[in-house]
Amino acid sequence: MSQFLQAAAYGLVQGGLLALVAIGFSLVWGVMNVINLSHGALAITGAYLAWALNQRLGLDPTVAIPIVALAMFGFGYVIQRGLINLVINAPIFLTLLLTFGLNLVILNTLQWVFTADDRTIDTTYASQSFAIETVNIPYGRLASFLLALTITFALATVMTRTRLGHAIGATGMDRGAARLMGIRARHIYAVTFGLAAALAGVAGTMIATVGSFNPTTTPGQLTLDAFVISVLGGLGNTYGALVGGLVLGVAQSLGGLILTGSWVNAIAMAVLIVTLIIRPSGLIGKAQYSGRVEV
Amino acid sequence: MSTVQQSTLAAILQGRTETRREVLTSWIRSRTLGNTWPVVAGLLAVVALFAVQPLIEPSTQRFLATVFMFVALAQAWNIIGGYTGYASFGQVVFFGIGAYTTAVLMNNYHVSFWIAMPASIVAGVLFATLIGLPLLRLRGHYFAIATLGAAEGAREVINNMTPITGGGGGITIPTFGDQVPTPYFGKPGFYIAFLAVAAVSLALAALLARSRFGYAMVAVHEDEDAAGAIGINTTRVKVVAFAVSGAIVAAAGAFYAFQQIEFYPTDVFDANFTVLMVIMVVIGGSGTIIGPLAGAVGLELLAQFLRVNFGSFNQLIFGAIIVLVVVFFPQGVVNYFRDAWRTRNFSILDNIRRYLL
Repeated sequence: MSQFLQAAAYGLVQGGLLALVAIGFSLVWGVMNVINLSHGALAITGAYLAWALNQRLGLDPTVAIPIVALAMFGFGYVIQRGLINLVINAPIFLTLLLTFGLNLVILNTLQWVFTADDRTIDTTYASQSFAIETVNIPYGRLASFLLALTITFALATVMTRTRLGHAIGATGMDRGAARLMGIRARHIYAVTFGLAAALAGVAGTMIATVGSFNPTTTPGQLTLDAFVISVLGGLGNTYGALVGGLVLGVAQSLGGLILTGSWVNAIAMAVLIVTLIIRPSGLIGKAQYSGRVEV
Repeated sequence: MSTVQQSTLAAILQGRTETRREVLTSWIRSRTLGNTWPVVAGLLAVVALFAVQPLIEPSTQRFLATVFMFVALAQAWNIIGGYTGYASFGQVVFFGIGAYTTAVLMNNYHVSFWIAMPASIVAGVLFATLIGLPLLRLRGHYFAIATLGAAEGAREVINNMTPITGGGGGITIPTFGDQVPTPYFGKPGFYIAFLAVAAVSLALAALLARSRFGYAMVAVHEDEDAAGAIGINTTRVKVVAFAVSGAIVAAAGAFYAFQQIEFYPTDVFDANFTVLMVIMVVIGGSGTIIGPLAGAVGLELLAQFLRVNFGSFNQLIFGAIIVLVVVFFPQGVVNYFRDAWRTRNFSILDNIRRYLL
């Protein structure tokens, strides 16, 4: 029983970290109908930025997060404004290809600058944990869990309460109508992508703090996780990524108790396919988004 | 308007009363003169590539075999992704299934390659039907992701079926000793084998595209609901297109497995294969026969050139080129030149504006 509780608790905090990765991905997909294959690369870019700040200036990741977020926002804004907006009306596989090419460029540049070595940001607290009864909870992952909650609620507030949020939502629902209302779609798209890049950077910083990362294997895994979580949670709902992340985290953690080896990954994929067949709109997504035909 | 209609119309307008036989002969003539040159050119190319083989260095032959393999793979993706409009991002699953079917049969049961390879094709078709029926109900991104998930899932299954597949430790096809099921082909043998695979896939795709079934695929692509309304069994069209595509990829996988001798699940279920198929088709021009061919040959040559000349920067440059081509030729290079030729408008700037927000 205690083993079960431990796995559930670990899955929950791990799910928070996964959700953090997926929030931006889900936002971009929902609003612009773009599957950003370079999402993992953006997360790793943020991780390297935080790592460099930590190495050179001795900045703690908690201090580095706002800097990383700001820098990544600018980077994302420029990418969307200068590149993705050029083919945003094209069939889906073009945006997929564009972001795939972008992914290669970013990752190879990072590998060239920072080498392919595993990196981690060392802190005195991230690997420490505290115990409730027999259940150990690591501080680092708990922090990313809480951060995921905070960011999701903040994003939900922005989307429902501010002019910017309404503009993003409106552009996502009907771009033509939104433009007629005086919304600058190019700018709104760029802001959305910038937000996603900033969130990816924050997620990357947390990943670097609680574990290690490298430019070869980490980004692909992150993008794939973000994929699965976005589908599982559903699009068009800010809480989708959080729900999907937590469900996947717990499912993988509990699955790890019963199954051996890499069967856990197969289960994650099976969950994905079953979700798509039974409920394509995801757990709490809006049906409108899965009904879109984009090919 | 087709030539036959034109000639009939011309006959009626001029008050001529052509016999049906005359119309038919003129139609046959127009078919033979107008539509045979791609077939002739294709056959000539295959014969030429076969004839010059002894002059090519073995290492170059090996590289060309890879090019031929990608010609087949790109054409296979084109059938489901280009013509039918279902962008599969897990097409590599058939590659892996084809490779493992052949390897398991040859390694565990000492079956001849010439039985194992057709078995791979059957496995590919069966798997395509099995996952196609539920997954082809999904559209757009959702289909893309579901197929991606199917490929990742299948890899994990193979990875964990250690007693049969060798699991993560890989599998080896016996090529020496007295228990060899089929003698190894060597570099020249695989050059011819992959040339044949490429030629057959091209012919298959071309025949399919010009048949009644091909029009059904395009109709499903353009508007699935409308296609259903005019009496096309859309489910059947989609599943058959998926299965044909899967069969070609599985055959390529079978040959690849034998060529590699030893391989791991991560090699033959590598998502990069799928990505390359998509890139080749989209950059060449999807929904055409020549586009994926040009895309596959062009990109493989480019990748090889970058690998040789730019060393560790080849991936970086490759990525940058993909970004540039997508921005400059969003509809594919072949489609760009075809449309530019028709409209006499070669402006790249106008072309960029096509999908601009």
